[in-house]
This record gives sequence, structure tokens and C-alpha cells, in this order.
Amino acid sequence: MKPLQATNPNKGTESSLPNCVVVIPAHNESLDIVSVINELRSVSSFPIVVVDDASTDNTIEKAEKAGAIVVPLVVQLGAWGATQTGLRYALKHDYAYVITMDADGQHKAASLPKLLEPVIKNEADVCIGACTQRGSLSRKIAWALMKRVSGLRLEDLTSGFRVYDRRAISKLSRWQATLLEYQDVGVLAMLKDSGLRIKDVEVNMLQRQHGISRIFYSWTAVLYYMFYTLLLSFTKRRFKK
Amino acid sequence: MVTLVTSVLGLSAALVIVVLIRRDHLHVRYGLWWMTAAIGFALLGLFPTFFDRFSHYLGVAYPPILAVAIAIILLVIKILVMDIERSRNVIRLQRLTQRVALLEADLRETQGKSREPEDGSSHGEIDDEKS
Repeated sequence: MKPLQATNPNKGTESSLPNCVVVIPAHNESLDIVSVINELRSVSSFPIVVVDDASTDNTIEKAEKAGAIVVPLVVQLGAWGATQTGLRYALKHDYAYVITMDADGQHKAASLPKLLEPVIKNEADVCIGACTQRGSLSRKIAWALMKRVSGLRLEDLTSGFRVYDRRAISKLSRWQATLLEYQDVGVLAMLKDSGLRIKDVEVNMLQRQHGISRIFYSWTAVLYYMFYTLLLSFTKRRFKK
Repeated sequence: MVTLVTSVLGLSAALVIVVLIRRDHLHVRYGLWWMTAAIGFALLGLFPTFFDRFSHYLGVAYPPILAVAIAIILLVIKILVMDIERSRNVIRLQRLTQRVALLEADLRETQGKSREPEDGSSHGEIDDEKS
């Protein structure tokens, strides 16, 4: 595979592709972060920003030694709070595109060209790497319910494997997006309301190798997530006249 | 007797509010609400017939329940306002945390670049020195 080239004009590199940065929110991911960075390095030379969400292990040291830029949060903000920090980093450093992916190795770097294509060709402002096979029955029921209530017509609402263009980065860096706790329905509804085009492409994902999900770590957390998302879906929904 | 107790309680609460503001334990902005509530209690204690007449005017058969209902409504409004302010503070705290992290990232990058020519140390080594 031809490696994707980094092209930040601030850093003086030249290439055919626009400037892009990879943002990886990470919380206690020291077991996987190095392999995720190395896999990314093997397919692209985009700068990698690891937003450390107040980890208590040595995620920061490992990510830095692997060559990533580390943005260390002193207070844990959750997956979306960390992702938004990465988006603000991209906005501050004038990147045109942001790729977000998980630090647990579920997202395959090999899918990047497929994910980037619609955004770079200006067919979409946001592209979501969807993997509907990964969902258990309960997750699929949750997705169907969320889609029904929110009115969003997307395959995989919860995927964190995404590409955002400059307009989406700018929109999601605003304070209104800081109120959100998760990157699914609230973020997508905000983008849709702004008239941005969202597209999903089917990608393969792997099973998490270490640790537990940051959202589905207990039944109480799942219940909270479901009620939170359903209330948000309902309140943010735009009804057609 | 009940009216005396209510007015004494109201005046005591007002006094506590004054002390809290004087000792910088309570922001004047929040003190305003509590002072108003405390004075309201004291006045109702001093003029108990006011509620009886007000209830009669509204057609409420049992006057004390009107006072309780109004108190509950005011408390619910106060709690809602507190949660709105809390939401605003959460945004402020998160934005501030993000900004500090972004500045620290720039600082780490700058320090890393300035040290590289001297000893070739990586970012991780710099972090080790700091800790």
C-alpha cells in the first residue's frame, strides 16, 4: 500500500494530499497505544496526537516514545472531551482534516484511505467508519432505538473511527459541543443541524485486546448511557413540518 | 407561638447569611437569594394573617398548604437555576482543562525541539526528568 503523506503547511512538507492529523483519545491504554501508533506509521506519515485523558498508567511516556504528540489532560473529560481537545488542537494548528480513532486497536489503520476518500473528494464533511457486524444483539437494539428517536439515518452511530473536515472541526470545537458527553448522537445531530454532510463507509474492526469499554463498563453505565442518549436524541431532534 | 418561632428562624437565617458573606464563605450574588428567603420567613412569621387572607382570596381552604406549595415551587426553581449554573461551570472547567492541555502539548513540543540538538533526548525522557 502506498503510504499516506503528512502535509501540514506550517511544517513545510510537500505532498499531493491536504494536511491531516490523527487524533487518538486514550485513557490507560499503555498496553495498546504503541502498536496503534506503529500501525498508523506503517500506512501514513500523518502527525499523531494522543490526547491523554488523565491516565494513571504510563500511556503518556509510551505514546511520546513512539513519536506521538501528547496532549495531556489533567482532569478526565471522557472520550468525547478528549476527542474535542484533539479537534481544538487541529484547529489551533491549522489542520484541514482530522482522523479520530480509538487507542485500543479496534480500528485498522489500513482502512484510512477508504475513510478519507469521501471527505477529500468533497463528497462529505464527515465520514464514519461503520462496522455493523461488531454489534451484539443488545447494541443493535440500542442503535435501532437511538436512530428511531434521533431521526439520524446512519449505520453505526457510536463508531469513533471518523474523518472530519475543517468545517466540522470548527463546529465541534465550539463550547456548545463541550456540553456533550459522548461522540455519537449529540455530535452527529449538531453536525446535521449545521448542514454538514455525513457519510458512512463500511470498514472492518477488530475486537478490543486489553481493558474494557469506556462507555459499557457496567450495567449502571449502560443504563445511564441509554437514558442520556435517548433524552438527547429526543430533545435535539428536528421534526419536519 | 408558631409565628414567633417562624420569625425568629427567619431572622436567625438572615444573620447567618450576613456572617457567611462577611467571612467570604458565600458569594454576595447567592447571598441575595437566601437573604430574600430569610426575610420572607421573618415577615410571614410577624404577619401570619397575610397568608390566611391571601388563601381566602385564592379560594384555598387550608392556608398552610399554600405556603408549602409556594415554598416547594420556589425551591424547585432555585435548584433548576443551580443546575443551569453548574452546567455553565462544567463547560468552563472543561474548556479550561482543554486549553491547559493544549498549552502543555505546545510546551512539551518546544522543549523537546530545543533539547534535541544538545543531547538528542526524546519527549519521554524530558517527561521523566520533570517527574
